[in-house]
Amino acid sequence: MPKQKYLCIQRSQSGKGEKPSPAQMEEMYAKFHAWKEKFQKNIVDMGGKLGSGKVVTSEGATDGPFVEAKEVVGGFMIVSAESLEEALEVARECPGVVMPGSSVEVREIHTP
Amino acid sequence: MTTPKLVEHFFRHEYGRLVATLSRRVGVQYIEDVEDAVQSALMTALETWTVAGLPDNPPAWLFRVAHNNLMGELRRRTGRRRILEQNVKEDIGTLENGPEIFLAGEVRDDLLRMLFDCCDEAIPVESQLVLALKTLCGFGIREIALRLFASEANVYKRLGRARSRLRELPLRPGELTGEQYSSRLPAVRKILYLVFTEGYLSSHAEMAIRRELCDEAIRLATILAEHPAGQAPETFALLALMHLHAARMAARQDSSGGLLLLEEQDRELWDQQGIQIGLDWLARSSQGDRFSRYHAEAGIAAEHCLAHSFQETRWDKVVECYALLERIAPSAIHTLNRAVAVAEWQGPPEGLAILKGFEPPTWLAGSYIWAAVLADLHRRCGNADTANRYRDVACKSAPTPAVKELLQRRLQIGSPG
Repeated sequence: MPKQKYLCIQRSQSGKGEKPSPAQMEEMYAKFHAWKEKFQKNIVDMGGKLGSGKVVTSEGATDGPFVEAKEVVGGFMIVSAESLEEALEVARECPGVVMPGSSVEVREIHTP
Repeated sequence: MTTPKLVEHFFRHEYGRLVATLSRRVGVQYIEDVEDAVQSALMTALETWTVAGLPDNPPAWLFRVAHNNLMGELRRRTGRRRILEQNVKEDIGTLENGPEIFLAGEVRDDLLRMLFDCCDEAIPVESQLVLALKTLCGFGIREIALRLFASEANVYKRLGRARSRLRELPLRPGELTGEQYSSRLPAVRKILYLVFTEGYLSSHAEMAIRRELCDEAIRLATILAEHPAGQAPETFALLALMHLHAARMAARQDSSGGLLLLEEQDRELWDQQGIQIGLDWLARSSQGDRFSRYHAEAGIAAEHCLAHSFQETRWDKVVECYALLERIAPSAIHTLNRAVAVAEWQGPPEGLAILKGFEPPTWLAGSYIWAAVLADLHRRCGNADTANRYRDVACKSAPTPAVKELLQRRLQIGSPG
């Protein structure tokens, strides 16, 4: 398994978009599994969805929004890759990214 | 790591099953809440299963999540209403019995009940059709619009009409009475017939999409035929005609998607097992003294399936069935079909004679079918000018390029008749 790890942060536009139909969900499920199989050596942690939360500052805890409200951080995962390019490739082919209005930010994780 | 596989159409069919089961438990008045709860349960499943893998029993898992979603929503709402108006005593069915109970037989009952609910007399037929495709087959609005050649706005409107009718039903109606079951049975068969013909007769370019509707109709009609509420010779005949048509479907197109005439089709491609199932249902349909339009149509389909070649078709039997069909369900299209069969049986002039003095209704007169049949019969009788005139009309009103191509090939002057 490649050594370098990357954090993938998935963002999507809040509230927008039509609900997928059951047939579309079936397609998404199949695509996702094909993706998972293709990149199984890269996937370190499938991560998960992120729920609501609060921000702690020196002044105490406040509710969101954390960034601009139209873009919401939906989930995260950790992949390993030889290079940022390879990590981007893994993220680019992830079915969730293909949807219009969503994006994935890929950041190298520096560990001492 | 292995890919957990789900059976084909798992999401769509689970949608139908869950909507039927939950609607039956809380009452079909809550159809929209039920559909929302099921939709979001499927989304949760998609998100969870892709990460954590499949649970041991996916249908049970889904049921639990959808059930909890629905309970949460209905409790929240009754709670809020209770605060607003102190005396509300709305009760929301018997969901508390717990989500664990469901048996295969019960699921079939639930689907069937939903089917009969869709066919409520107060819902217009075109809305019944959309409601059934949405709730029982799990198609989305856009998918329904695509299959019915309707706009999405139109599908929404039809669905809205059906839902508002369901909302008006008295709360806690309990089971449908035996009388309601039997009075709605013809409407139920009609809806299944429509779902089937939307697929079978569709000019949709994609075979897979058309096939899917036919398979849905067969799936639901089988449940109906095996259930006491639906067991009747007409139901068996309906199922027979579906199987007998579906068995020949793959042979109706060549490898590039072009349409083939019956006489051009490779009969080797017909699904013999499907034909056998159809014939078995046809045999079961002949009990009793009712002869329905489904009997006549299944009889015609059976004649085609049993003929070893186009030439060996028993055209006299086909003509007889069309004549019966005309009597049971009068329609100009049956007369037209009978003329075609007579032309094969006794010759083109005899076929043409049937249409002599026959005034087609406007919907038929304006369709390519009418012009195409007249062009073909006149061509075979040697009336080239008249044939050409009808051919031009037919080609101009052909709904798809594939149909146009077929017409040009068939209606060429000088081609063997």
